[in-house]
Amino acid sequence: MTQKLAFSLAAVLLAAALPALAHHSFSAEYDNNKPITLKGKVTKVEWANPHIYYYLDVTDAKGATKNYAIEGGAPNGLYRQGWRKDSLKIGDVITVDGYQAKDGTDHVNGRSVITAEGKKIFAGSDDGGPNSNYR
Amino acid sequence: MRYSLYLLSCALIGGALPALAQSKTPDLSGMWDGARPTGDIARALPKGEKIPFTPLGLEKYKNVDMATNPNGQCLPPGPSRSVTGPSPFQIVQSPDIVAILFENHFDFRMIYINGKHPADVADYPTFMGHSIGKWEGDTLVVDTVGMNDRTWLDSNGLQHSEKLHLTEKFSKKGNDTIHYAVTYEDPVYFTKPWTFDLEVVRQKKDDRLLEYVCEENEKDFKTLKPTSRKVGE
Repeated sequence: MTQKLAFSLAAVLLAAALPALAHHSFSAEYDNNKPITLKGKVTKVEWANPHIYYYLDVTDAKGATKNYAIEGGAPNGLYRQGWRKDSLKIGDVITVDGYQAKDGTDHVNGRSVITAEGKKIFAGSDDGGPNSNYR
Repeated sequence: MRYSLYLLSCALIGGALPALAQSKTPDLSGMWDGARPTGDIARALPKGEKIPFTPLGLEKYKNVDMATNPNGQCLPPGPSRSVTGPSPFQIVQSPDIVAILFENHFDFRMIYINGKHPADVADYPTFMGHSIGKWEGDTLVVDTVGMNDRTWLDSNGLQHSEKLHLTEKFSKKGNDTIHYAVTYEDPVYFTKPWTFDLEVVRQKKDDRLLEYVCEENEKDFKTLKPTSRKVGE
């Protein structure tokens, strides 16, 4: 399945699919009062349990570059939404909407991703965090 | 001819009766998942229903540290949370054992049909407990004891003691739905038994259980911060 098709499928399934049970509580690690939007280049992808991780080089207005670790959902839930292990590739420029870690590190919980093709897809898990299905 | 038909009828009826009796046992086999997310059971209860906490149970619930969610430590979710939580499971059924294989944590339950709990079950408490079952019409009634107190009943800090006793009913409704009802009894945490129910629906034919190995790349637990549960969270 190509990346484009995978993300198209994800968009179709977005409303219907239930994300997998979260590994941990969103609130114990991230601050929902600290939303952040990051646009940058993917430097590394870890398609692994209990959450995928991907890393972004983000350059600020002054030209300084910082590498952020972004936590996503569990591979099983993301797979059912159309994600595949190569849906994010090193070098892809993407935009992530997420929330910063409570400890102030460059660690972010990504809730959605806007791909290079401009498609916005859910990228989190059912952890009680913003825009999860938790209730 | 008439005598032959009589013999044939006797043979068919004789042969069919055991099969008929067997066919009355519903077939729960297949891959299933809850029809709605139930991370917070208190909010998922019907309007007006409340969890009947004892004073201790309420205190524990109100003061729970969300960082201690057993899932975050890659520990098994327990028998009922494995069903009510948002992860699919596979039921494999035989006359003597109904096994439930859970994608979440790749854990499983064995339900021993017409079995008995071991006399010393309380001396060997486990995360998933010990389950026995019996068929009552279209319903599989499962009795579970012998659980430790290290699991939560939902994702929102609903705790219990080792006195927890679960009675679950799996009622087949048509081919693609199971009505699931779990009754929680725990005199330490609840003043009376109370029930939560959930429609469980068959998953798509081409879906399958996917491997989930929690320890593979776990890097969150050490960064979790003590966190109280906000009202409504």
